[in-house]
Amino acid sequence: MDELEFRRRIYANPADTDEALVQAANDDKGYDDFWQDVKRLDDKLTRAIDVPVPDDLANKLIWQQSVREFAHKKRKNRWYIGLAASVALTAGVGITAWQQQHVSLGDAALAHMYYAEHETPVGDAPVTAQIANAKLAQFGAEIDPAIGKIASVNYCHLDSIRSLHLIIETAQGRMSVFLVPEKNHPVKNSFSDKAYEGLSYAFNHANVLVVGEKGADIPSFQSILKQSLKFSA
Amino acid sequence: MKEKTQRYEALVRALHADVYRYAYWLTNNKATAEDIVQETFLRAWRALDSLQDEKAAKSWLITILRRENARRFERKQFDLVDIDDVSVSVSSADCHDNDTEIRQLRRAMAKLEEDYREPLVLQILFGFSGDEIAQQLDLNKNTVMTRLFRARAQLKEALAPSQPERGRQNG
Repeated sequence: MDELEFRRRIYANPADTDEALVQAANDDKGYDDFWQDVKRLDDKLTRAIDVPVPDDLANKLIWQQSVREFAHKKRKNRWYIGLAASVALTAGVGITAWQQQHVSLGDAALAHMYYAEHETPVGDAPVTAQIANAKLAQFGAEIDPAIGKIASVNYCHLDSIRSLHLIIETAQGRMSVFLVPEKNHPVKNSFSDKAYEGLSYAFNHANVLVVGEKGADIPSFQSILKQSLKFSA
Repeated sequence: MKEKTQRYEALVRALHADVYRYAYWLTNNKATAEDIVQETFLRAWRALDSLQDEKAAKSWLITILRRENARRFERKQFDLVDIDDVSVSVSSADCHDNDTEIRQLRRAMAKLEEDYREPLVLQILFGFSGDEIAQQLDLNKNTVMTRLFRARAQLKEALAPSQPERGRQNG
């Protein structure tokens, strides 16, 4: 093996144990000296390359990992918390809305009947058709005075909706008429409790509820009312 | 998850020092090396499930680290290291080491071309064979052996002037 080849190979890998190299080093002390020299260089190189590693680098790497993992999990959790919160909110709003929906106008009207019993009439002075129609005008309605004696016309709130309550003396007895200026509010076509019963119908922008004592002929009064109560709009 | 954490910790403890040294010689800068090592281990964590063979962990980490280093250059073109910085950095790196010869050697290492330095570090630090280095750096083996030869020859030369007692020029 020529010297250049030997040197190239030793420089490339001083740890090479190839027999040809060993043989060459045995044969020529110069080769062997060179080899030992490069091995010494490599020993130094090994020390030189082993630069000091920053203190606690390993712990830092593990720590950084657990922190990121924790943050990642936390983000994940937040996502779940967010979902849970919105589910809870939706449920809350839904239940509230559902409960509100449940206060149907019929029930509200029936409840109002008991209250109205004590409220009316204040004195015997009849309510004139003009007074009644003045109030009805606010609801865009007008009533034919021929329907009967109007005992009272009062505003009331049925399920938070400002409504008008007319009490009319008829051949079928005292009848209550509620004008509820909100058509979309839920209302049953007929409703009753132990003392009263009622019917409802939609008219233009309003719901009209007719409530009378139990057993009264409400359907026939309702059909009279439909002819007597006109809506202008 | 606990198993993965244990595996990761074992990987860090076993290889962080040499991976850091490798990064140091790749970048010639302690702070940059530490950053790259952190980024490397972060990626290693994410991809830990893909590491099937523990024996392959070294070259797997080296591959990640080299990619991170390449990204660094994509990000900042100006981040090329100045030789003066290298000298400062290197001399501060061995402040614990009083051996002037070692200090001198580190300075010479820092001045080596990266193409020469990298295979040398792989060989000495990780004990890679010529074939393994070739595979890691995606070079053919002859090129690797030539670079190793030139790297040592240049280092020897760099040390020679201050050591005239050896009386011999090599390489």
